[in-house]
Amino acid sequence: MEHRTYDLIFICRPATPEEEVTKVVSTLEGATAEKGGKIEKVEKWGTRKLAYRVAKHREGQYVYLALSSTQGEMIKELERRLKVNDAVIKYLTVRTDEELKRQRKLTAKRERRLARRPRKAAAAPAAPGAEQGGASA
Amino acid sequence: MTEENKVPPAAGDAPAGEAAPGSDAPKEGAAAPAARAEGVGPRREGGPRREGGPGGRGGGPRREGGGPGGARKGKRQFFRKRKVCKFCVERLDSIDYKRPEMLREFVQERGKILPRRITGTCSRHQRWLHTAIQRARNIALLPFGAGL
Repeated sequence: MEHRTYDLIFICRPATPEEEVTKVVSTLEGATAEKGGKIEKVEKWGTRKLAYRVAKHREGQYVYLALSSTQGEMIKELERRLKVNDAVIKYLTVRTDEELKRQRKLTAKRERRLARRPRKAAAAPAAPGAEQGGASA
Repeated sequence: MTEENKVPPAAGDAPAGEAAPGSDAPKEGAAAPAARAEGVGPRREGGPRREGGPGGRGGGPRREGGGPGGARKGKRQFFRKRKVCKFCVERLDSIDYKRPEMLREFVQERGKILPRRITGTCSRHQRWLHTAIQRARNIALLPFGAGL
């Protein structure tokens, strides 16, 4: 099956101790391993101010995970664990492989065009050839 | 617009723009409180009737783009400074929702997304921007609106 990549961001209550946050992450790690997924990256963004009140808090600890998997049900399981956990007040999962694919395609296309016509690259915004679907209308 | 609904009974074939004020006034005076009973009422009696053209919705107090519009004659100028799409110029291939500082340029202080004609973004990037801003809002990196 196709390899899917996801971004998972969750926010913990601001007063949560560090080990609690780590425990949540390890729970998620366990759940992904069960479902045949893999965690590519874990980033803790620390305490940030929230743009609006969530569960009566104005700040939260952000944690970002990059995941990859071949099964879609893994995400359902992860979100279920996050929902059950009291320390987590908000979470968001975004599927990124399609977008990354498109991004790579655009970059590759542009590099190919630049390699073909290096001189025209300087006059880029007005260049014909409908780069990115006609930017300057 | 409710304007068009009210005008035919009063003045028949009067266009939405320059309706004859004289013939309309007596009828509108009677119909206004009964018919609409909304904030649209007081604004209709006077000047802004002219704006019933293409820019007709709520033509009176317009928040953005009010300055360079100048003497509005019912037609707005698009792309008032001939802006270019920032993403096309910088050749960005994706708009990251995790970086609110970049997204903030395209959002009002109240949190509303700025329209394309103000920021000069092209349609493709405006769609991407919209998705990114919605995701950032959902994860509390950007507000949904002021006062929340």
